[in-house]
Amino acid sequence: MSKVFRLPAPTRGTTTRTRRPDSADAARPAPAGRRPGIVAGYLSPHPPHLIYGENPPQNEPRSQGGWEVLRWAYHRLRRRIRDVHRPDVLIVHAPHWITMVGHHVNCVPNPRGVSVEPIFPHLFRYHYDFHTDVPLAEAIADEAADLGLVTSKLRDPGVRVDYATIGALHMVNPDWDIPVVSLSANNNPYFYSEASLGQMEVLGEATRRAIENTGRRAVLLASNSLSHLHWHEEPQLPEDMEREHPYNNHQYRWDMKLLETIRQGPTSRLRELIPEHIEATASETKAGSLTWLLSALGWPDIAGDVLGYGTIIGTGNAVVEWTPENVDD
Amino acid sequence: MTDRGIQAGVLLPGMPHLLADKPATSWAALADSARTVGDRLRALEPDVVLLLSTQWFTVLGHQFQCDPNPRGAHTDENWYAYDYGHLSYDLRFDVEFTERWAARVDADGMQARRTRYQGFPIDTGTIVTSTLLDPQRTLRWAQVSCNLYADADTLAQVGRAGAEAARDAGVRAAVVVVSGLSSGLIQQWIEPAQDHIAEPAHDRWNERILQMLTAGDTDKVLAVREDYARQAQADSQFRAFAFLAGTGVAAAPAQLHSYGPLWGTGAAVLSWNLPAPA
Repeated sequence: MSKVFRLPAPTRGTTTRTRRPDSADAARPAPAGRRPGIVAGYLSPHPPHLIYGENPPQNEPRSQGGWEVLRWAYHRLRRRIRDVHRPDVLIVHAPHWITMVGHHVNCVPNPRGVSVEPIFPHLFRYHYDFHTDVPLAEAIADEAADLGLVTSKLRDPGVRVDYATIGALHMVNPDWDIPVVSLSANNNPYFYSEASLGQMEVLGEATRRAIENTGRRAVLLASNSLSHLHWHEEPQLPEDMEREHPYNNHQYRWDMKLLETIRQGPTSRLRELIPEHIEATASETKAGSLTWLLSALGWPDIAGDVLGYGTIIGTGNAVVEWTPENVDD
Repeated sequence: MTDRGIQAGVLLPGMPHLLADKPATSWAALADSARTVGDRLRALEPDVVLLLSTQWFTVLGHQFQCDPNPRGAHTDENWYAYDYGHLSYDLRFDVEFTERWAARVDADGMQARRTRYQGFPIDTGTIVTSTLLDPQRTLRWAQVSCNLYADADTLAQVGRAGAEAARDAGVRAAVVVVSGLSSGLIQQWIEPAQDHIAEPAHDRWNERILQMLTAGDTDKVLAVREDYARQAQADSQFRAFAFLAGTGVAAAPAQLHSYGPLWGTGAAVLSWNLPAPA
């Protein structure tokens, strides 16, 4: 793939388009006994096939199922969220809210509407209705601007929420009863031949600072697939699992190399391996969500827990959990 | 030339800045050119206009819009804070012809995928183009998506299939592609007056390509296309031009109506074989 867009390094001192709010509840501490901070981070892929396979009431198309192992991994994740982490907020970085200038943060209090997926409209026509943690969203945008990133606060409810944001959030919390912050991807995974991850390190740092400053107890979601070569045609029955397997062994082996490193830890080993994996597999992590997540966690000296792996139209997808050691459950 | 099949072609940018209330000089010039080209396109009285926008990108097969009348409002996910980020659309698609085109694509061994869903997100480029070229909504469109992974030859084949479908159907057709030139966006929030081509090298490449196009050197453009894509970040590797060339309309010299910056990217309005202005 050739590049279409190229992003220069951020210029220090650029500003967000709206002013920092003086909201009284911007620094709302977590309830007693529940330490604030980032309590977990997840690699949480979003292909619309997962929601399609679940047949939730919010999605119009119906399926016979499919991609069960990945969906079961998400079911484990849901129990962890509900029983262990109990966050105040889910923060998601998604590669299909593609922004051409800057890093955008959704500050719309109650996004709702129908999201018809432009590539898989036969699988994903989802009725969404959720609530944003607006003070935290604004704080992330402000911290990012303070660190030199070009940012924007989305306040227009007319912008359709993309399927990568919805896909990860639904699979993690189909009840949508936890407030959300969603971040755009300012580098298009389809248009880059090289990783451009420096800004994602900064965005991760800004996210962590905002969480600390607002006293939130947060779970972070990196809405990325892994190896990203895929079939160019679809079977008559999309959920025909006879047709589902890795695009090729090269892609699969590289995914396993990344996941073995994740399983062994520490995360610092991923700093070099993520760009290599991107180069080798056209991994969707070049959109930066995984780097953002690990940066926000501070590249901790821990291993990740791979809850599941599977392919979707040939792409590699893994559900992975990192739990920082310095945060009490 | 027979009066059946593809009669004329247009290439223009799809950035919403062309619809700005207070545009930069270059945005206004590009928009004025697009409106003029639209007048001439409508004077041709085509039965159908084949359309490809690089902003409707897909990854599986080649998607065809089969909703006869998509209409609604669209807020651009990047430019929502500006007046031009708020768009409305009311499009007329010739579904019968689209089905012919899709069938031809299938017959040529590619996968055509029909799309007809309420609420389907029409891309900004398509909306901007239809607004400028056809403000009274008299044209009937037939649109195929721009597959991100299809090589230029494949997109040319999709264009060729459209031209053949038009000839077979005995219809008078035109083709419009929505594409920028260089795509080096300025990564700042700027005022319109601050706009400029982001990189001098991109500007030089754009000028070189435009010279070839206006000289009718289609094969040369196709030969340097990959270099252009690498060195000037050409929008979707300038594969939209390969699609246009596949229809056969770009063999003649292009008429250049405007060229200028759009938030750092290069943009031009070009036409082939349009009737002279009234």
